[in-house]
Amino acid sequence: MVITFPHLGNSAFAAKAIFDDLEIDYILPPVSSRTSLEIGSCHAPEEICLPFKIMLGSFIQSIEKGADTILIPGSCGPCRYGEYCELHMKTLKKLGYNVEFIVLDQPGDIGFQELLNRINKISLKSSKSNKEKINALISGYRVINLIDKIEQKAKIKSGYELNSGECKRLFNECKRECVLTKKSNEMILLLKKYNNLLDNVALNKSKKPLRIAIIGEIYTLLEPFSNLYIEDKLIDFGVSSKRFLYPSWWVKDAALSPVNLNSLDIKKASKKYLPYYIGGFGRECVGEAVLAKKQGFHGAIQILPMGCMPEIVSKSILPTISKDEDFPIMTLVVDEMTGEGGYQTRIEAFLDLLERREFNVLHGC
Amino acid sequence: MKVGVPRGLLFYKYRPFITTFFEELGEEVVLSPETDKEILNLGSKYSVDEACLPVKVFHGHAAYLRDKCDIIFLPRIMQLREREYICPKFCGLPEMVINSVPDMPKAITFPIYAFSEKSLRKWAVKTGLIFTKNYLKIHNSYRAALAAQKKFSPGINDIDYDIKIALVGHPYNVYDSFVNMELVSKLHKMGIGVITEEYIGDELIDKEVKTLFKRPFWTFTRNSYGFSSYVGTHKEVQGIIYLSSFACGTDSITIEFIKDRLDNFPILVLKIDEQTGEAGFNTRIEAFVDMLKRAVVNCQL
Repeated sequence: MVITFPHLGNSAFAAKAIFDDLEIDYILPPVSSRTSLEIGSCHAPEEICLPFKIMLGSFIQSIEKGADTILIPGSCGPCRYGEYCELHMKTLKKLGYNVEFIVLDQPGDIGFQELLNRINKISLKSSKSNKEKINALISGYRVINLIDKIEQKAKIKSGYELNSGECKRLFNECKRECVLTKKSNEMILLLKKYNNLLDNVALNKSKKPLRIAIIGEIYTLLEPFSNLYIEDKLIDFGVSSKRFLYPSWWVKDAALSPVNLNSLDIKKASKKYLPYYIGGFGRECVGEAVLAKKQGFHGAIQILPMGCMPEIVSKSILPTISKDEDFPIMTLVVDEMTGEGGYQTRIEAFLDLLERREFNVLHGC
Repeated sequence: MKVGVPRGLLFYKYRPFITTFFEELGEEVVLSPETDKEILNLGSKYSVDEACLPVKVFHGHAAYLRDKCDIIFLPRIMQLREREYICPKFCGLPEMVINSVPDMPKAITFPIYAFSEKSLRKWAVKTGLIFTKNYLKIHNSYRAALAAQKKFSPGINDIDYDIKIALVGHPYNVYDSFVNMELVSKLHKMGIGVITEEYIGDELIDKEVKTLFKRPFWTFTRNSYGFSSYVGTHKEVQGIIYLSSFACGTDSITIEFIKDRLDNFPILVLKIDEQTGEAGFNTRIEAFVDMLKRAVVNCQL
């Protein structure tokens, strides 16, 4: 078995750490790029959302490198993600790729026994003891928490750094070195090292950068290529940005949601505008917009793939929040035809607007 | 009180229940007119751009009614069957309308879980209490509404036609003749009979749906796929016309499943939105019908 999985932000590092420890062969999915999107768009149905197209492209790239099993989490709607597994299966089969799918679906739908059967398909390929397997999962969890923390720090501090680009450089270095590790404990040590380096990065405390919250659909937020590297662009503009959705957030949210104790702050913040869960991260988007204002951000940017059903509902609500809270929110819709030029212009115009609201024109005139 | 009921979305399937319930409570029901250009334009003007056509049309109906009623019914249909949904936009429909259309009156937006009489009753009680404190009256209105709905059997099942097609799609597209540009009468004029998904019952749909790896969690996907799969594999029709809205999330998946299941079966996918030109639409239908007629003559079907 040579296993691969979808690339979803930093979760690839956690998955790598787990499979390294379990000593199961894997193909690390390529970082999403123009190539994965082109391959995916060529074979995917035209109207499917962007994340599917990128995932399909990256699966095909991984299969060409030798993967024969695809591990993918499932869901039960109402957003389209839950049907990705079936559509991927049918599309890859039609293209002649003979791969097995292991879908980790909700136990409420397939039953605990079936979920365990599916997990065992992977677990039995590992010669490690049960204790070692559990430890591998714990290490994976530690990795995702650490790396998400490092990423958040880098993005926030980049607005205040003394040496322009240092935070971004450190985070990219950290990722490059993590890919080269062979065991989870090596990766964890590396992550702790970079965490310290970021804690000690030289800051200019008198700077007053713009602070922007990035909200919207989870895949487009986690995958830099799909949002046209907006966070990097913002760093280059000297903006301090924050995102609420990370894989580590998602793990906690998924674990607590059966007992209704998940993301209580978001639930409370969104209650006035959208008191029901509508699927995807629609309610979270609305709650995050309200929280961002409370936490003193200057504005928010919502990013969604074209056609994303829950985010369309959020999009209709955000103008009311913007008006009620006097809080600028811009929406950017992405798909495979999104033009870099227009996208860049909109971001620049939004930053201009925010700067002028603060009477703090940072870029010479 | 005047209760505004927009003639859109699932009104087409649940009209008897909705109108009977409010009338039995003693309220005056104000319906919006059949969809027309004015309503479509209102909807496109106010709704978020990315919403699908039926949702925009619903916005238009709601906007039309806003100054003609005291309270408006904005159905928040969460589930029609257990463990299934319709679409996220249905779950958030009231918020979409209230935040997009200005000057909306008070609205009835309680969540509707319609998978059993008991679950739906919760909505009925909450809604009834807006108008009266008389629980017996609410209970009776609810029962009368259920009875009226049971008598209603929508659907088209043409019998006297040599060539028949299955018209698959969401009910608000199939039954709104402005939105589908009189598709059914056009097909009749061309000598083509039409059957819709009400043609087959739940048991047969369940059987067809088992051919999928994962149990579909959208009610419309289950119905459309089950229906198409059955009539296609049993050759009950000579072709399928799938009527779908542009940017419909669930259809982007359902159509692929149907095409995958029915290899080599004539399927025409008609996409509609507020820009659809009737001429192009007609041409595609004519071409499809021509193809079917030739195939029948050549005994290919």
